[in-house]
Amino acid sequence: MRLQLLLLCLASPMAAQSVRARLEGRVPAEVIPTIDSLVQTAAAESLPAELLVQKAIEGGAKHVAPEYIVVAVRVNLDQLRRARNMLVDGGDKPPTTAEEVATLNTALKRGLAPPTVARIVEALPAEPRSAAFHAVADLVGHGFDQDSAADLILAAASMGLRGERLLDVADKAILELQSGRGYTEALGTVQSQLPQVSTTKVPDPSGQAVRPVQQAPRSRP
Amino acid sequence: MKFLDPRVHRVLDGEEPRESLDLALRRQVERLDQAAALLASSLEQASVADRVMTAIRRPAPAHTHRFIHWLVTPRAIVLRVRPAWSLALAAGLLAALLLPLPESRVALREGEGIAQFVARFPGAHSVAVVGSFNDWQPESTRLEDPDHDGVWGASVVLPAGAHEYMFVVDGERWIADPLAERFVQDDYGRENSVVLVQPARVSHL
Repeated sequence: MRLQLLLLCLASPMAAQSVRARLEGRVPAEVIPTIDSLVQTAAAESLPAELLVQKAIEGGAKHVAPEYIVVAVRVNLDQLRRARNMLVDGGDKPPTTAEEVATLNTALKRGLAPPTVARIVEALPAEPRSAAFHAVADLVGHGFDQDSAADLILAAASMGLRGERLLDVADKAILELQSGRGYTEALGTVQSQLPQVSTTKVPDPSGQAVRPVQQAPRSRP
Repeated sequence: MKFLDPRVHRVLDGEEPRESLDLALRRQVERLDQAAALLASSLEQASVADRVMTAIRRPAPAHTHRFIHWLVTPRAIVLRVRPAWSLALAAGLLAALLLPLPESRVALREGEGIAQFVARFPGAHSVAVVGSFNDWQPESTRLEDPDHDGVWGASVVLPAGAHEYMFVVDGERWIADPLAERFVQDDYGRENSVVLVQPARVSHL
């Protein structure tokens, strides 16, 4: 127990030093203490603090004014807190994982609404929900309404589809939409095909039939 | 030059007996016999001695010299191959040339996947991908355009999950991937593209 306490006491200053070392030369020097403080706050709350470091480094690389970098990091800290609270409010018992908070934060930025998050968390209470979050966000990003998009993805999940198969379901609905069907018709078509859904990928500039940004090798069940 | 008497010739050839010759010619025949015997004897001795002495006195050639000699000496190689094996070998070589390469020969660790970045920037001199996975450093991950057709690409091993990224063209133009399927506001007034990387061995995100 004493050893653990000692390690904890040592680890915190070392982590702070590591953050400052990473920020030096990449972020204007005058804002490093403020950003470091925000990062330490996130770490203390078991939030994915690395995202804040990355946001600051991104601002420095894009030559953003120092005060805007601080604002962006502060906003992101608030967004991470909100995402964590949504998971807890949806039924997750703390501590929720930092990875899931980060994923949900990205999905929220992409347009996922809090009630939809609550529906997904309630429907998939004890398993990874990253793919479901992003699948619904994919549909919402293409103009599908939140409830209908969540209905389709949760229906697919109830039939056993997980991971990238859920993303394929969203892809299929988007393809149906792009082929000229209306929103309701596109969702209905895909729902009638569940759980067997196949997608045709968009050709890339080199003429290969792959996604513009191809994802990792698939591991189908 | 001194010519032999034809009678001596005939005696040496065995056509006439020696007794048919006079004493002077008979002595000439005897001298010729002795000379012939001596010549045959000395030739035989010189041949054996020469071969032995040559073998003893000749210095051993250097290893490199022997190797070069082995290399340049023509040798006959006989290759016996059954036609069935020849056809199988040809079919194997053809298959190796025509079949596509495996999707990934990169060793992936648990929780990692491969993101393939492809973009079309005709006329660009350099294209890099920057993102949360390389600390937004343009020097870290460069795309390549080996056939100079303006299509740039790179495959990158990344941890599974969502990653924000942009392209940096010619070291100064920051551009969101126009072909990306997902975008988010970058909190600095622009948009980042988003790639979802699936783990190579696990079916869930």
